[in-house]
Amino acid sequence: MRIALVGNQNSGKTSLFNALTGAHQKVGNWPGVTIERKEGRIKGSKHTLIDLPGIYSLSPYSPEEEVSRQYAVEEKPDIIINIIDVTSLERSLYLTTQLLELDCKVIIALNMSDLLDKKGIKIDSKALEEALHTTVVEVSALKGTGIDKLIKIINENQVLDNVHLPIYATDIEKSIKKIEAELEGSHQRFVAVKLLERDPRYQKSATDLDQQLIKEIEEKYGLDTEEIIANQRYDFITELRKKVCTFGPRKVTITDRLDKVFLNKFAALPIFAAIMFLIYFLAVGVVGSATVGWIEELMEGLSEWVSGALENGGASEWSISLVVDGVIAGVGAILSFVPQLIILFLCICLLETTGYMSRITFFLDRLFRKIGLSGKALIPFIVGTGCSVPGVMAARAIENAEEKKMTVILTPFIPCSAKLPIIALFAGHFFGPNSGIVSASLYFFAVIVIILLAYLLRKFVFKGENSSYISELPEYKLPNFKYLFRDVSEKTLAFIKRAGTIILLCSIVIWVLLSFNWKFEYGVEVADSILASIGNALAWLFYPMIGHWSWEATVSAVQGLVAKEQVVSSMAIIAGLSEDVTEGHLILAEGGAFGYFNSVSAYAFMVFNLFSAPCFGALGAMKRELGGTKAMLKAAFFQTGIAWVLAILVFLVGSLLTGGF
Amino acid sequence: MRERRRQRRRLRKGERGHLIDLQKGQVAKVLGLHNDSAAVRRRLFDMGITSGVEIKIKKIAPLGDPIDIELRGYELCIRKKDMETIDIEVIE
Ligand SMILES: Nc1nc2c(ncn2[C@@H]2O[C@H](COP(=O)(O)OP(=O)(O)O)[C@@H](O)[C@H]2O)c(=O)[nH]1
Repeated sequence: MRIALVGNQNSGKTSLFNALTGAHQKVGNWPGVTIERKEGRIKGSKHTLIDLPGIYSLSPYSPEEEVSRQYAVEEKPDIIINIIDVTSLERSLYLTTQLLELDCKVIIALNMSDLLDKKGIKIDSKALEEALHTTVVEVSALKGTGIDKLIKIINENQVLDNVHLPIYATDIEKSIKKIEAELEGSHQRFVAVKLLERDPRYQKSATDLDQQLIKEIEEKYGLDTEEIIANQRYDFITELRKKVCTFGPRKVTITDRLDKVFLNKFAALPIFAAIMFLIYFLAVGVVGSATVGWIEELMEGLSEWVSGALENGGASEWSISLVVDGVIAGVGAILSFVPQLIILFLCICLLETTGYMSRITFFLDRLFRKIGLSGKALIPFIVGTGCSVPGVMAARAIENAEEKKMTVILTPFIPCSAKLPIIALFAGHFFGPNSGIVSASLYFFAVIVIILLAYLLRKFVFKGENSSYISELPEYKLPNFKYLFRDVSEKTLAFIKRAGTIILLCSIVIWVLLSFNWKFEYGVEVADSILASIGNALAWLFYPMIGHWSWEATVSAVQGLVAKEQVVSSMAIIAGLSEDVTEGHLILAEGGAFGYFNSVSAYAFMVFNLFSAPCFGALGAMKRELGGTKAMLKAAFFQTGIAWVLAILVFLVGSLLTGGF
Repeated sequence: MRERRRQRRRLRKGERGHLIDLQKGQVAKVLGLHNDSAAVRRRLFDMGITSGVEIKIKKIAPLGDPIDIELRGYELCIRKKDMETIDIEVIE
C-alpha cells in the first residue's frame, strides 16, 4: 500500500515519518521543513510511506504546497495519515475536513499528545472518531508513544471507511449533492465543493447548473461561496472542538516569556547579530585555533610515517609523491576543518529545532520587505550557512515567484560550510587572534551584499508585486538531543564522505596535472606543469584582486566549482609540490607557492571565493528552482561577476588603507 | 514603494473597525474579509480567519511589523497591510 503523510506545517510530520520508518530525516521547528516528498518503508511491513510538504488546506498557496495537493488528490494514496498537532486542534481539523471529502481512507494521528497534560488540554479521541467517522490514534512522535498502535492499524487495515459525513448547512449540502450527481470519476464530493467555491483549478469543468447554484447561494447569504464554505467549515470545527476538547485556564507560557526577550523591541536585533557572530566566532575562532595546531602536527606525522613506510616497502618515487603530496595533502587539508564544521552544524541545528529561526523571519520581515524579499527568505539563507543545496531548495516555501527567484540567486552568497575551510585557512594564517572576528566580518559582508543586491534586483530585474507574510509562529521547543546528534553526525559524515570521494578524485587529478608537462614527462618543475599553463592562461582574471600573477591561485579558485573546499585542497597540493624542502603542510608559508599573499589580498581572495558561482551541486539545485539551464547560467555569471568586482574593490581599498601601494 | 496607512483609531467595546485598530489586551470578533488579492484572502480563510472567530494581539515584531495574533489556540504572524483588510468588532 502507499500511505501518504499529510498535515500542517510544523505538526511533526518529519518526526512521525522517522518514527514510523526508522529513517533519519531532517527535523526543524519552522513551518515547512519537508521540502520535497520523501519515501520510506514502514517498520516491519511492506507499505510505502510518503512524507509530503506541510499544508493548511487543499488550495495550495506556495509551489511547495502544490506538491502535497497534487499527491493527495491526483495520485490516490491508499491511506492518508493526517497528522494533527493536538495543541492547535481547530486549525488542524480544517485540513482534515477537506481530506475527508476525498475518496480515500483517512487516519488521524493526534500528535504531540505528550504535551496535553502540560498544557491542561483534555481530548476525547473516541468522540472525535465517532463525530468524524474516521480512525483516530493518539501518538507522540517525539516520545514514540502510540506508534506501534498506528502501525498495527495500518497493517491490519482496521481503518474506518470514509463516509463523507455532511458538515455544511442543509442548503449547501443539497447543492453539493446536485453538483455531485453531474460528476464522473473519483473525489466527487471534493470536486463538487471546489466547483462551488469557484476554485480556478476546476473552472474548466464548471457547468451552467453550477453557476446557477452559486448564484442562488450567494444571493441568499450575501457573501461569496468561497467565504461561505470556509465559514461553515470552521463553524463545524468549532462546534466539534467544543464537544471533544477542553482547555484548562490559560497560563503565561515559557514561549511568551522567552519572546519578551528574543522579540524585544530593542534587544531582538542585537541578540540576533550576537548569535550569528557567536556561531562564527566559536567555529572558526575558538575551536579553529584550538585544533589547528595539533591537527597540523598529526598530518605531518602521518605523511612522514606513510612516506617512510612506502619507501621501506620499495615503492617508487612517483607513487610516494602521489600518496603524500596528492592524496594526504589534498584530502587532509579538508579533513582538518572537521572540528569547525561540527560546531557550525550544531549551531545551525539548534537554531532550527528550537524555534528561534521562525522568530528571525518574523522580526526581520519588515527589513526584508524593504528590499523586496519576504522574511521567509531568511530560512534559505540560514540553512545555506550549512550547505547551499538545501538552502536553495528551502526557497520553495516562498509563495511569490519573483521573491523565490531572488532568494535562489542570493542564497549561495551566504558562506556555506564548504567555504569555511577557505575562510579558516586565510583568516587563521593572516589574522591570528582576530580570526574569529574576521570570519564573522565576512558573514556580515555577505549579508550586506545580499541586501544591496536584493534591492537592486528588485528595482531593475524583478519588478513584480510584494507578497504577503502569513506564517504560524511555533512555540519554543527544547532541542531533542537524539536528533541533534543525528543531524550533526549525518552532515559531518557527508562532508567526510565528500573528502573521500570527490576531493580524493580531484586531488589525484591535480597531482597528475602538476607532476606532468604536456609531453607527459614526470617530475617536471611545477611551473612547467600542465596545470601551470592552464592557470597562466587565466591568471589575468585574478591579478587585479591579489596583486600577483599567480597560476596557483587561479587554478585553485576555478576548482571551487567542483566543491568549494577543493580550493583549499588544491592549494595544499600545489604548495606541497612546489616546496624545495618538503616539510610541513603550511600552505601559506612565506617563500612558498602562496607566500605572496598578505592580509589584504587574502581578504579579497576570500571574498571572490565566497561570492563566485557555487559548486556544481548548488548550481544543479539552482537550475531546478529557476526552471532551466539558461536561467541558472545567467545567475551563475551574475554571481561570479559580482564576486570579481567586489574582490577587486576590496583589494584596491584595502591596499590604499594599509599603504600597500 | 511606501504604503499609506490610515491613522489608527482606538476602539472601545462594541465598536467596529479593522484588525489593525485592535490594541494589545483587547479581544475582537471577525466580521469579514475584503483582501484585494484572491490568494491572500483564501490563505487568511484557510488559517482560520473566518466570521465569528475571536482574535487577540499577542506580539508585535521589534520593527513594528508584522504582528503576531492569537486565534483558535495558535499564533499567526501577519503584516499590517493585511490586517487592514479584516473587519472586526471589539468584544472585550
Ligand atoms: N513535544 C513534542 N514535540 C514534537 C512531537 N513531534 C514533533 N515535535 C517537535 O515539533 C517540531 C516540528 O517537528 P517536525 O517533525 O520538524 O515537523 P514538520 O515541519 O511537520 O516536519 C520539532 O521541534 C519536533 O521536535 C511530539 O510528539 N511531541
